[in-house]
Amino acid sequence: MRVEAGEFFGFLGRNGAGKTTTINAVVGLANKSSGTIRIFGYDNEREWREARRFIGLAPQEFNFDRYLSIRDVLIFQAGYYGLRGRAVARRADELLERFGLTARARVEYTRISGGQKRRLTLARALIHRPRLLILDEPTAGVDVEQRLELWDLLRTLNADGLTIFLTTHYLEEAEELCKRIAIIRDGRIITEQPTEELVREGERLQDVFLELVRG
Amino acid sequence: MRFNGVGLWTLTKRELIRSMKIINQVIWPPIITTLLYVFIFGMAIGSRIPHVQGVTYAQFLIPGLIMLQAIDSSYGECSSSIFQGRFMNHIQELLIAPLSAFEIVSGFVLGSLARALIIAGLITILGAVLVHTLPRDWFTYLGVLVLVSVLFSALGIIFGLLAEKFDHLAVLTTFVITPLTFVGGVFTAATMLPPALRTLELVNPIFYTIDAFRRSYTGQSFLAPIYSIGAITVLCVITLAIALRMTALGVKLRT
Repeated sequence: MRVEAGEFFGFLGRNGAGKTTTINAVVGLANKSSGTIRIFGYDNEREWREARRFIGLAPQEFNFDRYLSIRDVLIFQAGYYGLRGRAVARRADELLERFGLTARARVEYTRISGGQKRRLTLARALIHRPRLLILDEPTAGVDVEQRLELWDLLRTLNADGLTIFLTTHYLEEAEELCKRIAIIRDGRIITEQPTEELVREGERLQDVFLELVRG
Repeated sequence: MRFNGVGLWTLTKRELIRSMKIINQVIWPPIITTLLYVFIFGMAIGSRIPHVQGVTYAQFLIPGLIMLQAIDSSYGECSSSIFQGRFMNHIQELLIAPLSAFEIVSGFVLGSLARALIIAGLITILGAVLVHTLPRDWFTYLGVLVLVSVLFSALGIIFGLLAEKFDHLAVLTTFVITPLTFVGGVFTAATMLPPALRTLELVNPIFYTIDAFRRSYTGQSFLAPIYSIGAITVLCVITLAIALRMTALGVKLRT
């Protein structure tokens, strides 16, 4: 599987098909048994430091540090990437503003809503200015209005040159946002093609998806 | 980037913030417990005990109590922080960042060391104010304190990685560390024990830590410092190597 720079790529599959395992292997949360993964040319095992600097991960589960305020969640994450100083503080404030979290900057994450947590996940993934954003169910548990707002935001980020790798169970989300889609079944990619070729005129992604995953 | 010093410092700072956020759970209890030990064992009962290693029993007690709390705090900080990070999944913030196993382990160890130094410093002040004792040899005081804290922090990392539930973290404390600390010379000098027990002390690693540390206060020890400090250093290297290896392999961190 190959994702081009600047692409909005959808990665779909049923529960247990291997989506999160693939993401974990890319970001270094899983030890892979074979194969290689290159991130903008860097091998994610041999050149892991360089490769990781390019990736921002917004996981499905909320996994924030409960001892830090929302603003510090961003600043400390930047610190783990080797970044510090006023530029980081400015970047954190800019992201809080962009994701509508400025008013909640000093509180702990346990005191914000599900939608705000989802936005914080995205802000944290972007704090170190990655070139590849990996989104694992970015709109899970978010209401329709906020989902549309997030879609707009993701489109803007992609238009600004950010490569986005999206996994989602909301097939209309993938159809709406992704230029290319790959579908995984039992750990194997069964199709990888442009969305418009995968979903022909008059068809819906949902029908194509079900046909493919049912084999 | 060959070495992520900013990342290491950020993790150390995070550990310190964690300690300060739960100050009533991790800083004040050892101080209060020490106060009680000093009043009850040191002043009330200790006044009936003759001088030990050339100092009053209360003065003799202080270095032992510092070691007791430094050991407990170092192990507790690393084990619970790592386990909590695994349990709440926020340890993934570190695992996806460009941080090596060495930087992650060092960050946790330094955070834990800082907490141990704060607690040791406060007990040292208590010792100076209440029983008028201060270390005579600050170099040994600091050196042994750092070694012991690193040793038990590394042990904390190992058990923080292995534990499946919070209950598992307490197993080592309840059944190994606390009993060995209490019989390892916190309240007694080796010379006060019968010869058979004195020999048994030589297989208790905590005895070496207390014996070496007390020397910084009393100027006397049961073992020559080269043996006690040597033993602590060897144990320190072994536990650190295991903690580093486990972190690098991603034991219970990576699937």
